[in-house]
Amino acid sequence: MSAPDQALQLKPALRSSPGENPVNSRFINWIWHIRGSLALAPEQSSDAFDKLDPLFRQTGTSFERTHSTLVFRKKDQAAQDKMSVFDGGVLQIEKGMAGPVLHYHLTSRILLFCFLAPLLFLGMAQLTIALGELETPSTEVSNAFEDSAEKDLEVPMHPIDVALGAPAPEKESSKDSDDDDKEPSPTPAYVLAAIFAALYVVGRVLESRLVKALFKKSLLSS
Amino acid sequence: MIGTQAPVTVGWENIPKVEGGPVKQFIFTWFQPTVLFALIAFWYYAPNSVAKASTAIGIGIAFKILLLGLEWMTPRHESWRLTWKELVTDLFYVGLGYTLLRMVDSYIGDGVMIEAVQNAFTWDKLAWFIGLPLLVQAFLISFIFDFGQYWMHRGMHNWYPLWLTHAPHHYITQLNINKGAVGNPVELFLIGLGVGGFFDFMPRAALLAGTLGLAVGTYQHINVRFNTPRWWRFLFNTTEHHSVHHSQDFEASRSNYSTTWIIIDRMFGTCVDGEAELLGMEGGRRMSIGETMIYPFSEGWKTLKERFRQPVAMPDAVPAE
Repeated sequence: MSAPDQALQLKPALRSSPGENPVNSRFINWIWHIRGSLALAPEQSSDAFDKLDPLFRQTGTSFERTHSTLVFRKKDQAAQDKMSVFDGGVLQIEKGMAGPVLHYHLTSRILLFCFLAPLLFLGMAQLTIALGELETPSTEVSNAFEDSAEKDLEVPMHPIDVALGAPAPEKESSKDSDDDDKEPSPTPAYVLAAIFAALYVVGRVLESRLVKALFKKSLLSS
Repeated sequence: MIGTQAPVTVGWENIPKVEGGPVKQFIFTWFQPTVLFALIAFWYYAPNSVAKASTAIGIGIAFKILLLGLEWMTPRHESWRLTWKELVTDLFYVGLGYTLLRMVDSYIGDGVMIEAVQNAFTWDKLAWFIGLPLLVQAFLISFIFDFGQYWMHRGMHNWYPLWLTHAPHHYITQLNINKGAVGNPVELFLIGLGVGGFFDFMPRAALLAGTLGLAVGTYQHINVRFNTPRWWRFLFNTTEHHSVHHSQDFEASRSNYSTTWIIIDRMFGTCVDGEAELLGMEGGRRMSIGETMIYPFSEGWKTLKERFRQPVAMPDAVPAE
């Protein structure tokens, strides 16, 4: 498909993905789609894409431009690429009531990934609980272990450690109380789910603002 | 020869110092040894009720949050800045370590083998070790564990099947606190194998050994510059050493394999004192999470197919009748 054809195809994509019900898809795809617009000065309608051009001349980025539309795609983009969060998008200059307006519609797989990550870790928590229930030893076995543990040695202490005042080690048999720590616990998975949920909210707001600021800064540069 | 494919600075005398005022100089000169000795003192004197693995996990997390703050305030390189995307990606791998890998480890990891050995052990034979001074025990545990990791890591760089698991970790293009966790889970499982868990019958010595890993090994992946003391960089691995290991330069990457004790690299002639900023593979291509997960299998399959592809017989010339 040539660039102008693609641009024509993608023109409605600023508001929804092609071939999808715009209302339904937009209800869900805000999760990983970022849309926005910036008012341009009247003289900027012709050179706006020239000013934004350096943002798309990055490793792993390909783009096609027509007079009013820029379509880009990124693959294995560099970590320090200022638009690394985005994997593709369309920028379009339209004539508004008060002058030209730059509309943009960007997609981000990492935002979707971060949105889904809490579900993954909640699943891990459930798996940990399920495996823990399967693995619970019988009372007889536990008692047998305790009996054998009581036969353990008294732990010696070196005179240097005694002189320096290090606490005396516990007897080996009391080590059993720590064994609860070794049981797989779902807590880390719950904590991680919460961290990713918080990171998603931060990222969705932050990256939306950062990209707007980036476009604004680039457009204002002489 | 080192540095023919990508820039690498070799020699301590060529490495820049921390820039800034006297307060900053003071903090970034004394931070590393102060934290190390403070943590050693803490674990040496902490009451038994406090000296537990859960405390160590808490301290580890708090320390990493502090270091993330340092990265944010004074990055070593702007080109290694932690972005939101990098943070999310890194934490995903950290999360795998705390969940999936722990689950797998509890079934087929070193813990299972160690428990079997421990149950078959005559404890009297270990009395001499348990009777050593605590700090000596801690040093030996840390050094023996690191010695095993050194050879596993070196093996990964020298034997193709192991390299396939380790390669994704070398696609990182910058060093940040959680970058040590980035990689294929198979590699993270393999590198975690070791004799460290064997010493859990000496909890305080094991915790002291663990704190050496935390207060030294953590600096392998960090975007902060310190004026690391001369004795430290002779004994211990540093950001500088590990940046050379991650350099885009192939020869440079075949160095500095240890995790904590760089002296092991010195013993075996694989230590390169220096630093690099340009990191990664394939000119710095960033590998996605999806590719990282499948890389050892997809690349392994590709290699096997190439190796066992039937060669088509192409005679050079038709023999004359």
